[in-house]
Amino acid sequence: MTFELLADVMLNSVSLWWLILLATTIGIIVGAVPGFAAHNTIIILLPFTLAVDVHMGMTFMVALYVATHMGGGIPAILLNIPGTGGAAATTLDGFPMAKKGMAQQALVCSFMGSTIGGFVTSVVALFTLPYLARIAYNLHSVEMVIIMLFGITLIAVIAAKDTLKGLIAGFLGLLIGAIGTDHIYSTPRGTFGFLELYDGIPIVPALIGLFAISEALVMIETESMLTESGRARMLKATWAETLEGIRMSVTRLWQITWTGMIGLFIGAIPGAGASIASFVAYQQSRMYSKTPELYGTGIPEGVLAPESANNGVGSGSLIPLLVIGIPGGSTAAVMMVVMHYHGVPLGQRLFVEDPGLAYGVFTTMIVSYIVMLFTIIPLTRYLSRVTLISTMILVPTIVCFTLVGAFAPRAYLFDMGLAMAFGILGFIARKTGFHVVGILIGVILGPMIEQYFLRAMRISDGDMTVFFTSPVGNVLWALLVFSLAAPMVFSRFRKGKAA
Amino acid sequence: MSDVFSTVSRRSLLKGATAVAGAAALGSFPLRQAKAEKFPSKSMRVAIPTGEGGGVDEAARAFTSVWTKKLGESFEYSYYPGASGQVGYEIFVKKLESDCHTLLFGNIGPEMIMYATQNPGYKFPDDYIYFASIDVDDSVIWVGKNSKFQTIQALVEEGKKRTVNFSTSRLPHPSSLGVLALAEATGAKFKLVPYGGGNAARSAAITGEVDACATFMSSSFKFVDQIKFLTVFAEKNRMPALTGNAPTVNAAFGTKIPALTGNRAWAIQSKAIKEYPERYEILKKTVKETFEDPAYRKEVEKGKTPWEFAEFADEAACTQSAQEIMAMAAKYKSLITATK
Repeated sequence: MTFELLADVMLNSVSLWWLILLATTIGIIVGAVPGFAAHNTIIILLPFTLAVDVHMGMTFMVALYVATHMGGGIPAILLNIPGTGGAAATTLDGFPMAKKGMAQQALVCSFMGSTIGGFVTSVVALFTLPYLARIAYNLHSVEMVIIMLFGITLIAVIAAKDTLKGLIAGFLGLLIGAIGTDHIYSTPRGTFGFLELYDGIPIVPALIGLFAISEALVMIETESMLTESGRARMLKATWAETLEGIRMSVTRLWQITWTGMIGLFIGAIPGAGASIASFVAYQQSRMYSKTPELYGTGIPEGVLAPESANNGVGSGSLIPLLVIGIPGGSTAAVMMVVMHYHGVPLGQRLFVEDPGLAYGVFTTMIVSYIVMLFTIIPLTRYLSRVTLISTMILVPTIVCFTLVGAFAPRAYLFDMGLAMAFGILGFIARKTGFHVVGILIGVILGPMIEQYFLRAMRISDGDMTVFFTSPVGNVLWALLVFSLAAPMVFSRFRKGKAA
Repeated sequence: MSDVFSTVSRRSLLKGATAVAGAAALGSFPLRQAKAEKFPSKSMRVAIPTGEGGGVDEAARAFTSVWTKKLGESFEYSYYPGASGQVGYEIFVKKLESDCHTLLFGNIGPEMIMYATQNPGYKFPDDYIYFASIDVDDSVIWVGKNSKFQTIQALVEEGKKRTVNFSTSRLPHPSSLGVLALAEATGAKFKLVPYGGGNAARSAAITGEVDACATFMSSSFKFVDQIKFLTVFAEKNRMPALTGNAPTVNAAFGTKIPALTGNRAWAIQSKAIKEYPERYEILKKTVKETFEDPAYRKEVEKGKTPWEFAEFADEAACTQSAQEIMAMAAKYKSLITATK
């Protein structure tokens, strides 16, 4: 890529700032509403993207896509309701921060983590595209099983507080995640005859039930969702809290960068996604923290890590589409429809025939993050006031909105009932001290790890040693063992030093 | 003036009002009837039994971009992937409206194999029929550009030494049957690895996770720079220039494996045809007109799919090809299902 080309595509993206502003506004709203993800919004808006010039269509879709990742963090922090699977890990520390009256700081951290993480990974992707595309050639089913294990070990972290309950929650989630037809022969398992469950447990109703409805049921017990001190703190909140959030983020720039890179690498693997990336980033961030015991109590690091990672996925997931012609996820698949409709070649030919479009994807992301940073940060003060609304109003609103969200992705009434069933399960779990995130990790990652595991086993003819025969896989195993053992070693070392 | 009003009794006023209302009702009758008969009277709904962004989705959108002008209504898409397409068909037959405004766009080849092997809860052709297929696609085997296997013979020879893995979108697929038939004919050991979607299956072969990919030809042209075609399951290779003159499987091995094709086709519920035969006629007429419209050819070629694949087949031809593929699926049922 020459400097002239880079300057040209950058100027082109900047000249479309008005479209980027429109798309990011829609994206943030869509991301914040559970059930309305980027891909179904882009499908709805396909007539527009097919009608306009392909460069303009791609700019709109890319800007909307990255903004949805940012929007997902808003309800996760304010109401304990992740707008997307990628924001589920944000609830772990985001909501406790909000309860303490630090919603404004948490939102700023979420936006700063998203924009800085997304910005850095877009720049990295722009200059290292061919190398990042090689990830898809080196990470196959075997390696994906190990990457999934990074995310699943988060169950163990949750279990650390109450081992038995944490493990039961995780295994229950894995069991629920096994519902649906099997990945090889399409034989239905545990569907109770419901056709709606043949494709597995849908993530959105599970998210809505486990988080939104169960949280609403807990919330109704008190007049305010905040603690007393939290409410007092929120009432006194001024612009100083926004500035404090900025300070919290700026002093953790390195953490934002490396967790964003986790997102970028995982996103570059076709089929992986924001959910696994944010869980892995949270788990890794906790593992290498000097104060891992504070994770889950409401600290900025617990918000910055998953938010930066799920925005890093945004840059990564478009790489397989552009370089190999394989969409990395459902949003990229819809983008592929638009590109094919306009006769745009994918793969290496794209970089020869229309390099402006290929690199323009990443310059659009860069401009989008800059636009979002300046438009959303000033709004945090007002957004955070949601936590002051009485639960008498908040709870029925949450239940109504989220039930519509449960219905929206597949348009099945069944999914509303499913959300209610998960809501009851989540409520019982909360009341009895079982962690709903443990269940959710199982529900989201269970089918993914099963799929990769079965494929690896089928390719190897049922030989379990296949998981230890790949060099990349072995490096990942070593990293997994190291990341699990390191905190214990560091902790002993620190204790020894202190003694 | 008062005299005039005094002559109008309450009874005569009521009679007059009734007469006026009656006349108005009679007058508006033909208009209302005409409105009721207008078809389509709302947006058309298309059920896709696979995920968004796949080959079927793209083909449907290219076709409806022209069909919408003939019908005067837009098309809205819903995706029902799962269980190799079974979910989409079950929902189409059992849950979606059957008033001719709802159609399914699928692929006869893979989906009739699924029907024959998975025992779904609907009946063909009692519950739905295919009324127009718009293309014919041949099954192929290809490898990544840098693969050490540059001919189908080399791949088969390797299969005699060790198990060779093939990625496929799903086990019930014509190209999967082709791989099994080739293994049976040559004695090679081939294993099919389903990836749940065409894009994922192609990615696995391009990135080297598996040895080769068994899929359809037309959807592979998007990757023509990154793959090498080894063989075609057809009477003749209709695209020699784009496939590096890959031989047909029968020419390469002297076998008699039948052509294994897929036909992307429009389907409708049988109940809708019975209840609204006139609407069905409009659909049949406009679907043919759309296929013959040069604007449609332009749309297909814009998507980089060669026009050579386009081929129209009516209801009778679609039913025949569905029944043929079902018969072949029955032969390999034990190899592509969990039940022995």
